[in-house]
Amino acid sequence: MSQQNPTPPLLLGAMALGAAGVLGTYFAAGHERFWANWVLWFVLMFTLGLGSLFIVALEHLVSAKWSVPIRRIPERLATLLLPAIPVGLIALGAVPVLYPGSRPEAAHHPILAGKAFWLSLPFFSVRTIAAFVLCVIALAVLVGGSLKQDVSRDPAFNFRARKFAPAFMAIFALVITLVAFDWISGLTPEWYSDIFGVYIFAGAFLSGLAATALSLLYLQGEGRLEGVRQDHLYNLGAFLFAFTVFWSYIGFAQYMLMWYANMPDEVIYYKVRLAGAWRAITFALAGLHFILPFFALVTRDAKRDPKRLRRVALLMLCAHVLDIYWLIFPALGGSPRFGWPELSFALFFLGGILLWVRGAMQKGEDMPVGDPFLREGLEFRL
Amino acid sequence: MSKKSYAVLGLFETPDALMHAIPKLRAAKLGLVEAYTPYPIHGIDDALGLRRSPLGGMVLVMGVLGALTAFGFQYWISAIDYPIITGGKSAASWEAFVPIMFEVTVLFATFTAGLGMLLLLNRLPFFGHPILSSKAMKGITRDRYALALEAESEAFDSAAAAQALEAAGAVDIEVLPAPDRSPFLTSDYILRTLGGIFVACLVAGLGIYSLIKWFPLLAPMKYMQDQPRLNAQKASTFFKDGHGMQPPVPGTVARGYLPTATGTQEASATLVNPLPRTKDVFAQGRKVYTNRCEVCHGALANGAGSLTAAYGAKPANLQAQQFRDYPDGKIYWAVVNGKNAMPAHAAYLTEYQRWAVVHYVRALQRAQNATDEDLKVVAP
Repeated sequence: MSQQNPTPPLLLGAMALGAAGVLGTYFAAGHERFWANWVLWFVLMFTLGLGSLFIVALEHLVSAKWSVPIRRIPERLATLLLPAIPVGLIALGAVPVLYPGSRPEAAHHPILAGKAFWLSLPFFSVRTIAAFVLCVIALAVLVGGSLKQDVSRDPAFNFRARKFAPAFMAIFALVITLVAFDWISGLTPEWYSDIFGVYIFAGAFLSGLAATALSLLYLQGEGRLEGVRQDHLYNLGAFLFAFTVFWSYIGFAQYMLMWYANMPDEVIYYKVRLAGAWRAITFALAGLHFILPFFALVTRDAKRDPKRLRRVALLMLCAHVLDIYWLIFPALGGSPRFGWPELSFALFFLGGILLWVRGAMQKGEDMPVGDPFLREGLEFRL
Repeated sequence: MSKKSYAVLGLFETPDALMHAIPKLRAAKLGLVEAYTPYPIHGIDDALGLRRSPLGGMVLVMGVLGALTAFGFQYWISAIDYPIITGGKSAASWEAFVPIMFEVTVLFATFTAGLGMLLLLNRLPFFGHPILSSKAMKGITRDRYALALEAESEAFDSAAAAQALEAAGAVDIEVLPAPDRSPFLTSDYILRTLGGIFVACLVAGLGIYSLIKWFPLLAPMKYMQDQPRLNAQKASTFFKDGHGMQPPVPGTVARGYLPTATGTQEASATLVNPLPRTKDVFAQGRKVYTNRCEVCHGALANGAGSLTAAYGAKPANLQAQQFRDYPDGKIYWAVVNGKNAMPAHAAYLTEYQRWAVVHYVRALQRAQNATDEDLKVVAP
């Protein structure tokens, strides 16, 4: 509250610098690299928003009371889906460049030719736009309704949200599968994995949880969100802890089955990621996305220690970026690319995301004050 | 039953009254303060000053131990004791070990948590906790909140404890006698337990056996046994000739038995023996020679084998100058393709065995034509 506007100039500067680099990438570093970066950040924004919206819907679905006081944070983070829409529409430009299924050569490819309709740019765009529409509807019902409740104090919202939550779960499954299959797995259309959508879900949920924990601690540092106690923090930490294991379980299950079966069209995915410098990144991912956060959060005290939780949440978000990088960038071929184009994209999008989240954090009250379960949530003790 | 008391118990009407009484009783230091309530009361852990349970650390240690045990066990089985290559994977493939490691980690951790809590921390087995037979029990499980001062040593003064409880506001104070902690693992008890387990197994086994026998509707899963398959030495309707066992397709070659040196013997003269002259190779060559060559060519390779007379054949005398001058490749060719009456051995000897026997024939030739130089003992 005291520091109303000190950082935006910095963020705006970072964005402007990044934007220059982004444009430079398009003209100087090759279109493929530009689009790979663009898709990376689109997927990141989209999964972060979806993961946050999932947290909100999960609360309504299971009628959780403990998370009511902190619900406004994932609600605000979920609004990232709105700027993700123009980013995603621009990202459709990547489809003819990066996605083999939409290139003219696909017509002569024995596998891709049969899926030409599904993978072609028109239908790809229709699916993506449909996903955006579904997301906007979900945002309007869950987040918009909750913001209105601040004023109206009408418990009818809770009934509506509870009825909508199961439907949202179906929508969520469709949309996250779309992100996984179309936007990520589509880069290697000859490679299939049924569990891939679940893997992306685990990453999205984790990033939503980490961003929620980080924002919560930031707001508490500003003296807001009074009444949120260690017990709430513990639950967030426990969720983070549990889902680091879930992510690794799914990731390893996928790897192990493909490793065992050793079918050429499947193992090539890992062959590429275990060769040369990618090998180091694969191991770094296992360490940063699982081993480090797992052991950092294993004790009870760690899960409610704000300092530790902040570090782990930050680590988790970085690991999510690395995860998406690890999924997308091998499609460019060769060794991992990292240089000024990637840094400019990071500056531009991180600046943008932080600016948006900063603005969103001023939206409505800090807690859903109109929710009849708020008091019960505040009284939550372990 | 001894006169020693286990604890002194008092009841409170409300959780607040209980919470207020705890610090007073703890300050009195008459015994261990323990609370019994119908549901968990927030903050009671701190009020009772319960120290942190060591169970978490035990579970962590045992979980890690479980992972290491599973890894070590599987590594020993599949890489050291009985290495079998399956699916083209290396014998020590950690990827394949992970599921078992995960399971054993969970197994060790849950058993530690469960048994550690019951046996170590709750000091069970302990038949009939004194609280269970107290008059207050009915209230504790319904709407009363009890505090107990439990004896920590012989010096426990139940009268003082009762007074302290009364001063703290408790009602219905009762003194609980110490439970019978005499050893229960008597031979009689063990025998009866084992007998009970035996009878239970017998009844269950016979029951299941007769059920399967007399009500075949409930057959056990035996798809593996019933699946269509071919048995060696058994008839089959699958093939036209009605045999289950079929000869391999003409031209089939077993792995490692590829007939190399398929050209003329002269063309094979340039082949070089790839094996080193080691003790193992000579031993293998000797074994092959004894099994496959000696019967015709003789133990000394001089063509005087035990079968020669019986068949009237005249096997080559490998000690002859002609054969001593042969390059290795030509002997190898003869082993693979056969020569004159000698059959081809490509199907019986692996590549390794063929070249090993060539080395051994060379050794036999040299042994029969040794020079003085050869007799010198080479310093090891």
